Amino acid sequence: MKTLLQKLVEESGPPGAEEKIRDIVKAEVKDYVDEIFEDALGNLICVRKGEGKKIMLAAHMDEVALMVTHIDEQGFLRFTKVGGVLPHLLVGERVIFSSGVIGTINHEKIKELKELDFSKLYIDIGASSKKEAENKVAVGDTCVYYRQFTDLGRRILAKSLDDRAGCAVMISALQKLKDDRINELYFVFTVQEEVGLRGAKTSAYRLDPDFGIAVDVTRTGDTPEAPTMAVSLGKGPAIKVKDSSVLAHPQVRDLMIEIAEKYKIPYQLEVLERGGTDAGAIHLTKEGIPSGALSIPCRYIHTPSEMIDYEDLQSAVNLLEKILTARWP
Amino acid sequence: MDVISLLRELTEAQGVSGQEDSLRPTAEKFFRPLCDEIKYDKLGNLIALKKGTAEGKEHIKIMLAAHMDEIGLVVTKIEEGGFLRFSTIGGFDARTLPGQKVIIHGRKDITGVIGSKSPHITEEKERKKAVEIDKLFIDTGYAQSELLEIVKVGDIISIERSIYELANGCVSGKALDDRAGVVALMYCLHKLQSLHHVPDVYAVATVQEEVGVRGAAVSAYNIAPDLSIAIDVCHGNLPGVSEFETQEIGAGPVIGLGPNFHPSIIARLKEVAKRARIPVQFDVSAGPTGTDARAIQIARGGIPTGLLSLPLRYMHTSVELLSCEDLKLTAELLAVFISTIDRVFVEGLTCF
Repeated sequence: MKTLLQKLVEESGPPGAEEKIRDIVKAEVKDYVDEIFEDALGNLICVRKGEGKKIMLAAHMDEVALMVTHIDEQGFLRFTKVGGVLPHLLVGERVIFSSGVIGTINHEKIKELKELDFSKLYIDIGASSKKEAENKVAVGDTCVYYRQFTDLGRRILAKSLDDRAGCAVMISALQKLKDDRINELYFVFTVQEEVGLRGAKTSAYRLDPDFGIAVDVTRTGDTPEAPTMAVSLGKGPAIKVKDSSVLAHPQVRDLMIEIAEKYKIPYQLEVLERGGTDAGAIHLTKEGIPSGALSIPCRYIHTPSEMIDYEDLQSAVNLLEKILTARWP
Repeated sequence: MDVISLLRELTEAQGVSGQEDSLRPTAEKFFRPLCDEIKYDKLGNLIALKKGTAEGKEHIKIMLAAHMDEIGLVVTKIEEGGFLRFSTIGGFDARTLPGQKVIIHGRKDITGVIGSKSPHITEEKERKKAVEIDKLFIDTGYAQSELLEIVKVGDIISIERSIYELANGCVSGKALDDRAGVVALMYCLHKLQSLHHVPDVYAVATVQEEVGVRGAAVSAYNIAPDLSIAIDVCHGNLPGVSEFETQEIGAGPVIGLGPNFHPSIIARLKEVAKRARIPVQFDVSAGPTGTDARAIQIARGGIPTGLLSLPLRYMHTSVELLSCEDLKLTAELLAVFISTIDRVFVEGLTCF
């Protein structure tokens, strides 16, 4: 699973341009599903037919990114954010465009750090003129953090674990499924989550499932002076109670808890004060779809160095597999 | 119909957003004799249908929405010493929380209080600053080990408060936002018993309004009404707040104005109020309102929507205050409005 995860996080998938991730996922899942297709927004929908309830799973393929807004006479690029990125985390960071062009970010002269905002930042791709820069990038191009997958032993450090970790969990659970076809499963690898749960919204409308489950990362409260949150790395995947986008449906939440207890899979309960996930869009689709989420605890979300615990990841796969083969109400 | 006893029973019950279960039987009990049919959807919206007189092609559906959920708290951590840390569900002002009595809905319901440092041991500069949510905690008297048996992260906490009857038909309590609206729906259905009405009336006690008008969005999709009116609360006048931001308590229903609302519905509401001699006030919202009307208007292919509001002071505290007279007049206005709706009106909604 580490190899799969490495492959997923080292590719880039800015919101709206998730094709490289889609290709990796497609190759991984094609032998395990009955049907596989893309919708008009680029969501990858993988169907595994079954008798029981229609369950939609969603993990998003996109990651936070930056988009070029202007190229100046000297060849420096100005940019805006695509998804939640903080300016102070960008200084000195390297970024990569889908073409392979690499640049570094720095800032104009400032007196105090608090003056630092996106208008003071620029990307330097080593071009010496506007013309030279324009040969490599265009206004509207997107880039992502340029970082390697780092195996710290039990823990993993990488960019875009949000939500490639979720993608890896869904892929691995799918590959583990036995031949029993208890439920009708839709593994949806969504697009544009980071800019407003957009892919989940359209795919849920199309599929109109009985239940929805998002597989995504969540914050932790286990770092120095962190905001109060009873989620830590290494204590198991988290079953969502609430975040800003959804109050997990009691039926879905309680079933997940029951299964974790039954199979003695470690789990935590998640109350996320800020942040949302695809379940937020799924549960408000059409007449309402009872939804919940399985979360992988993750430190430093949306930074170039997100950190997860490998055992949490494996437990998430085990729990998800049991959830998908359970009899749903 | 005794409005105060309805308000008492409904506001003293608990129904934090997403956990409206314990409230539903109470609401259902009151709706039951007033309608033909009651059903629930997948997110838990209560839909009470009172059929109109139109048949076949002439069918008209009007959806009324008032939310039954209330703001509340949720356990985030069970700390050493037996203190519970919490986060909010819906918009609380942390300054109004210390001193409240709460109920933690764990394996069983337990009582707690939100404590705060006493003035003697608070430093000068600390005293001048408003307390923040993450510094507050709940004390139940239980030790941490005992609490772990009863409470888990994610358990819902509600505020406990009895309703107070004040002078001039005013009441004060928690969750009047928007159980008063739910009672207005009941009172409206009660009035409709003796009025001839063409449209089928779908009175919906919606869920999860306080966390983003979620119940209204899915119930509007489900019902697919021809038009809809939301009933919610707006800010009542009080010292220190400008007149143009507030409405007068006891001066009658408030008609919402602005792009969230269909011009023909606004016009009809005004007309009806004039004819029925019901005093009205107006509340202008330049954008989408923070009410169910926001979600209903853009459900499906668009639903012509209106809003009636009850002026209410101290919104999102445990001593919200409003006038029962305003409530009754709002329900009356709504009932008369419904009795004027016919096919011609509905067809006119698409004539711009």
